[in-house]
Amino acid sequence: MSVTPAGGLDAIVGPAGLRGPDVTRDRISSVVPTLVAEPDTPEQVAQVLAWCARERQTVVLRGAGTKMGWGRVPSDVDVLLSMHRLNRVIAHEHGDLTTTVEAGTRLGDLNEALARHGQYLPIDPPSGDGATVGGLLATNDSGPLRHRFGTPRDLIIGIQMATTEGVLAKAGGRVVKNVAGYDLSKLLTGSFGSLAAITSATFKLSPLPRDSGTVVIATPDDADLSQLIREVMDSQVDLTSFEVAVDVGLAESAAGSRHILLRCCSLTGSVAPQLEELTRFVSATPRRVDVVTGQHEHALWRRVPVLSGDSTRAAAVRVSWLPADLDRVLLAAREATAEIPALLNGRAALGAGQILLGGNAEQQAHAVERLRSSSAIGNVVLMRGSSDLKSRVDVWGPPRNIQSVMAALKNAFDPHGVLNAGRGPV
Amino acid sequence: MASPLTTGALTTALRAIVGESHVLSESLDVLTYECDALPHLRETPVAVVMPGSADEVQRVVGLCAEAGIPFVARGHGTGLSGGATPVAGGVVISLARMNRVLRIDIPNQRVTVQPGVTNLEITRQVAPFGFYYAPDPSSQQVCSIGGNVAENSGGAHCLKYGFTVHHVLAADLVLPSGEVVTLGGAFADSPGPDLLGLVIGSEGTLGIVTEITVRIVRRPASVQTLLAAFPTIDAGGAAVSDIIAAGIIPAAIEMMDELAIQAAEASVHPGFPQAASLLIVELDGALSEVTAGMALVEEICRTRGTTHLERALDDTQRARIWKGRKGAFAAMGRVSPNYYVQDGVVPRSRLSDVLHRIRDLSQRSGLRIANVFHAGDGNLHPLICYDDRVPGQAAHAAAVAAEILTYCLDAGGSLTGEHGIGLDKAPYMAQMFSADDLSLMQQVRRVFDPNGVCNPGKVFPTPRLCGEVPGPYREHPAERAGLAERV
Repeated sequence: MSVTPAGGLDAIVGPAGLRGPDVTRDRISSVVPTLVAEPDTPEQVAQVLAWCARERQTVVLRGAGTKMGWGRVPSDVDVLLSMHRLNRVIAHEHGDLTTTVEAGTRLGDLNEALARHGQYLPIDPPSGDGATVGGLLATNDSGPLRHRFGTPRDLIIGIQMATTEGVLAKAGGRVVKNVAGYDLSKLLTGSFGSLAAITSATFKLSPLPRDSGTVVIATPDDADLSQLIREVMDSQVDLTSFEVAVDVGLAESAAGSRHILLRCCSLTGSVAPQLEELTRFVSATPRRVDVVTGQHEHALWRRVPVLSGDSTRAAAVRVSWLPADLDRVLLAAREATAEIPALLNGRAALGAGQILLGGNAEQQAHAVERLRSSSAIGNVVLMRGSSDLKSRVDVWGPPRNIQSVMAALKNAFDPHGVLNAGRGPV
Repeated sequence: MASPLTTGALTTALRAIVGESHVLSESLDVLTYECDALPHLRETPVAVVMPGSADEVQRVVGLCAEAGIPFVARGHGTGLSGGATPVAGGVVISLARMNRVLRIDIPNQRVTVQPGVTNLEITRQVAPFGFYYAPDPSSQQVCSIGGNVAENSGGAHCLKYGFTVHHVLAADLVLPSGEVVTLGGAFADSPGPDLLGLVIGSEGTLGIVTEITVRIVRRPASVQTLLAAFPTIDAGGAAVSDIIAAGIIPAAIEMMDELAIQAAEASVHPGFPQAASLLIVELDGALSEVTAGMALVEEICRTRGTTHLERALDDTQRARIWKGRKGAFAAMGRVSPNYYVQDGVVPRSRLSDVLHRIRDLSQRSGLRIANVFHAGDGNLHPLICYDDRVPGQAAHAAAVAAEILTYCLDAGGSLTGEHGIGLDKAPYMAQMFSADDLSLMQQVRRVFDPNGVCNPGKVFPTPRLCGEVPGPYREHPAERAGLAERV
């Protein structure tokens, strides 16, 4: 039986929820989907997925589309399932510091609503405030606030998801402490829309910081940078963010910039003494130390996480390292990117960040391979890059011994293999 | 697949793997392993096998998989929900011998251990360097890290620092098939679904962890502990809400009611004032932050009508306050011959409502109920007092406990905050989750354990369990021996 792709879909989402693609805006890497479905309810999402599974139509999920370039270049995409109409803040239990929110809600919109009660969801991803909570969970994306608050997987406490069987299922709950049943919210975190569609999530929240200040330290050499990171890690300073940013590209840029950013957020009146103590602690030749507060600080931190999100032509690679091994990491990164501009930034005490790569696809592919071959650097995942680059290196890197379990999970959740059109990671 | 193995052939095969002396099969020898710290649920295992290495665990599991024999992993048996209760016809795999600390990496702030290492041992090892392991279940002197991983254990300080799942970086897992996989790793951000997060808290139903890497935390620069007494439960509850609303995230906020205070006083004499409710609030971090925060907390307590404020000025005073709190469970023995403990969670904002319902239930049922709990995260621990010698009272207590769980669910809460579902609360899962929710979880379980040999009968309701009620508390041998306390 030949299937008209729209046959049945329009009945699920209604005429307002189904349209043809916009060849520019709806493109996934170089692939244009056949149809765009825009459901308005979790039930509709479940029905669309069931329809896709039944009709063997491949389907890619999209929140705000801020990370559509991530993942492998897809095979043909039949349906682009946009979650943007599921954008309601279902509950903000401010007395409990929790919120339940639909997956298509943008982080910025959510935080605006939460701010009315002086709270926020402490995530500052490179993809910015426009990213949706569903997309943040699916990619487990995070920024400098990770140092204190972890990644979305550490903040989610409950989930509702739609499966390819057309079922809406939930796990976890609405309370911050809960060990009843399997924590499927963790399983969906980092799944990149390959297992099921997240339709809503419950998060634990934080009070908005009453006061804040940042110490910025510039140092002219790698050894001092590593030394400084070890000193701060071994101290009792209580930081909200602890960032490192280093120009690693181009052989001659060993003279390039090296910065550490230490951010303190706290109760009114207690930040200033902490900044003073920090400044005393880190000040030593040959370092330059600046304290940034107020509007300047705000502007600074808006800039830092999007460093890797906005640079138009650069490829972005997620990388991890052992925090005390930073000098080895820098050496390896400098070797790998000797011919192209490159910037490493990330969470200094967690050993998690990204490298932005300039140059052309061939040079970038060479750099990715070199990074992967270094024992100092792990989990090198190509987040954003041209189709040309993705044809030269695998986005996800070499398989690990967990691959058989991943494949079995994929088969259980998506037996017909319609979800995410081969973009990965499962 | 499996050819049936006689008990003799099984123990012979197990001995061939782990050595003669590390397999127990005589009924007297396996007696200790018939239950965990939920002693009213018991089962006699065919054998108890004590592997000494990851390789031996893998071979034992492989043997069980091959022969279709169910197995239950066990740490130190301190679990409170029957998660380590043996399975009829099955084997208990005790990880107690695998108790080595494998690597201490202070510069990278992590420690790698075998599953039988106790929670507190990690802190002991890294304390000289100024670090500690944050999750602190009250059984931390004896409970194992492997068990903590299975249960996603919390503790009094998880309000600020999170649970086991927030502190484990990597684990080696022997799958029920005998295959070994690594979850997470030395480097952050393993690509793909967070299987480590899924396995932590899966109550030993997805495999057995044989090596665990945890992160350790730098001791805070400053810690301050406050004791505040209130004339009513409501006043104490309101103070908790106000503290959270003021933007303060304490390291811990614990609450005790009148009966619990009396019990603690009778037992460990912490010098608590008599009051309807007592709060213990602990702040830690930078000195300026802790000082500013504590001033705010004290002001909130005064506004809410506190009758007694006492700030612990040194470690001795702090230890005395915590001794009163952590010893409260064991102290219940001073005021009641038996008690049954629940672990339900309610949203913080509903604490007062639910405590009122519990008080009404206490009056209606004629059973005294003490409350000692983690108020900061809404995790209740009602202790239902009864006398086993009075016919029918144990069952009555169990029914009362079950009713409290419905209050928690009505308020939008959970069946369990940290003790786990295990065997104890499996019959109630259908009250919290829909058939579709449970079916999806079971589907995940089958991916890991298609033949249903890994801790079967736990977590999910089975027809066999539907008619059962959670049982009353009985003192665990480890508690009697003073080795363990309950949260």
